[in-house]
Amino acid sequence: MNDTNSTPTIKNFLPAQYAADKNRAISHNYLQQQFSDYEQIFEKIRDVVIRGDFTLGSEVDRLEEEFAALSNARYAVGVGSGTDALLLSLKALDIGPGDEVITTPFTFYATIGAIVTAGATPVFVDVREDYNIDPHKISEKITKKTKAIVPVHWSGRPAAMTEIEVAAKQHGIAVVADACHAINSEYHGRRVGELGDIACFSFHPLKNLNVWGDGGILTTNSSQVADRIRLLRNHGLVSRDEVQVFAYNSRLDTIQAVVARHMLKKIHSITASRISRSRFFDEGLSGIRGVKVPERDERIVEVFHLYQVLCERRDDLQRFLISEGVDAKVHYPIPMHLQPAARYLGYKRGDFPVAESIAARILSLPVHEFITESQQEFVIRLIRRFYGA
Amino acid sequence: MAPSERNVPFVDLTRQFNALESELVSAFLGVGRSGNYILGDVVQRFELELARYCGVEHVVSVANGSDALFLILKALGVGPGDEVITAANSFMASAWVIVATGATPVLVDVREDLNIDPRSIEKAITSRTKAIIPVHLAGRIADMNAILEIAGRANVCVVEDAAQAIGARYNDRPAGSLGTAAGFSLHPLKNLGVYGDGGFVSTNDHALAENIRLLRNHGLRTRDQCVVWGYNSRLDAMQAAFGLVKLQRLDSWNARCREIARFYRVALCDYVGVPEDKAYEQNVYHNFIVKTPFRDELARFLAENGVGTAVHYPVPIHLQPVAQQLGYLLGSLPVVERLSGTILSLPIYPELTDDEIRFVAETVKRFFVNKY
Repeated sequence: MNDTNSTPTIKNFLPAQYAADKNRAISHNYLQQQFSDYEQIFEKIRDVVIRGDFTLGSEVDRLEEEFAALSNARYAVGVGSGTDALLLSLKALDIGPGDEVITTPFTFYATIGAIVTAGATPVFVDVREDYNIDPHKISEKITKKTKAIVPVHWSGRPAAMTEIEVAAKQHGIAVVADACHAINSEYHGRRVGELGDIACFSFHPLKNLNVWGDGGILTTNSSQVADRIRLLRNHGLVSRDEVQVFAYNSRLDTIQAVVARHMLKKIHSITASRISRSRFFDEGLSGIRGVKVPERDERIVEVFHLYQVLCERRDDLQRFLISEGVDAKVHYPIPMHLQPAARYLGYKRGDFPVAESIAARILSLPVHEFITESQQEFVIRLIRRFYGA
Repeated sequence: MAPSERNVPFVDLTRQFNALESELVSAFLGVGRSGNYILGDVVQRFELELARYCGVEHVVSVANGSDALFLILKALGVGPGDEVITAANSFMASAWVIVATGATPVLVDVREDLNIDPRSIEKAITSRTKAIIPVHLAGRIADMNAILEIAGRANVCVVEDAAQAIGARYNDRPAGSLGTAAGFSLHPLKNLGVYGDGGFVSTNDHALAENIRLLRNHGLRTRDQCVVWGYNSRLDAMQAAFGLVKLQRLDSWNARCREIARFYRVALCDYVGVPEDKAYEQNVYHNFIVKTPFRDELARFLAENGVGTAVHYPVPIHLQPVAQQLGYLLGSLPVVERLSGTILSLPIYPELTDDEIRFVAETVKRFFVNKY
């Protein structure tokens, strides 16, 4: 905490960011369009409010059943956020101080935040050019202290789960998948929610299946894990007046469960449209010198929470696209091991060359369902122009 | 009307919703159409208004009341090896937030007014004590002058658990402005409640507020720079918009609760122990807790006659199964233990009609008249 005390002011930077994003004609944020379809949802929210069914209400139960079915998993448990899904999963597996958890440095801060909050030490393993953890480098990092692997299905592309599950089994450790980007993904014919011991999902407003605030859910086939997490998310209460374990408050709001159930009906069409828009970009961008489109693997269904390519002179290209009204974003420019928060772990530049190289070149283009083909053509033309193609 | 046909529920949020529906709908539409659902302008506006309401410089909204206290303790650097003193007759979350930091909760006894006993605090202070968390139970502020004096002598922080006390005053100062920082809950059943989980921190300490702003949002100083591994604990913008609508009414709602409390007090003081305002207190009666040796019988009689009640809380924290690890024995906190068997919360919310509160009071009286 000491280095934060010296910071003069930590402003809430999001209002300014929202204002800037709003000026862009082709935006990552599609929520204004999505919200045009709210009447049915509001009626159901009204119902929840009238019944006073706010806290872990019946809509949460129903969402959990439907989400488990979507994921081909036995159980789903709704929680406060994707971050908390990871945290509660680690805690349910009794992971804490003294333990190590293997994960990727090319991820969102929450993956590491959850591991550190659990009390464990994150141990990074480099990624491959597909942005996901390199399964062949995991074993060499496993020690007696290793309790779990947290692969991240980055951007909605499942990590190499066959190899990861083999490594985990060999060493008798758990796999808690960070599937926050990956609702509805598939890997070698399996649903992403059935991969690993637990899979954690986010309903953050910009996720493929979103709510209108924070929310998350996790899936598992273990009744023991599911029951444990149900305790952990609600103060450890077994009844109104009896507490079995000291535990968190991390509940998916019932009114957000209403929104999630509404979006769940559309998840297959949302996924299909993201895939087809991504293919359109793949084709339009693949011949351009300076742009590298990742190889696609037919055995997996990528759901493209983010559509990302690797670009030379990335920062210049991003500035150019923004100046033309395209909300090009970087997810994320600084890998986790080089964040100020990671200083105590002792990593340095060069430790994870692939992650570092990707972070310097990666660029995200909007592919949500409200983007039109002509907008995509416009973006492709701009990128061609930038590279003089 | 025959008594059995009457029904006064312990809580009824429908009435408030019906009265405010059109404003709540526009709040919902306003946020919905903005497309910004996380930490946007609306959240910032709500934080400013709450800061004004609580008479502090900074309010930082978070995901719930537990997180508010937890993040305060983390930002104060409380951790393993430290002790934090709090009252044993609170909701479990009060002890959990201490455990969650790795510190040890030290549970102490209360006074007859159900709030933490400063003398018990004094006895519990050790060289490891880092903070005191007085709980402002049921909308009554703990005896802060005495507590602040003890804390000052011991050089420890005072963190108000103001989850149940928004709008309450102590020597004319509002809850949330009396200690180093305070944690509030916006749970639907609170005097200021939203339609899901929510909470906030109030403080005059700029550095503390900035630390909590970092911790609640993944430790992010900017979108791309993480200076400390943090949490995800944010108040949804939707909920902030509902909160803004309701905050305008809070004073009049609290005034009505005080009026109902006055009525109950006068009507029932011959039958049960009733809570009173001391000269320097202005309680907001999140709950109206009466005391009687016939608690369970009375609760049953009221239920049979259509009056909902609840007990806050029947098993003190130190006697919960989970607290065995802390090593308290039955008898270690005698006042809490005695009171927990006698307390009963009667319905109290602004929308109760005069007719209904008269019915509640008459039903209580009838129980005692039948009994003797």
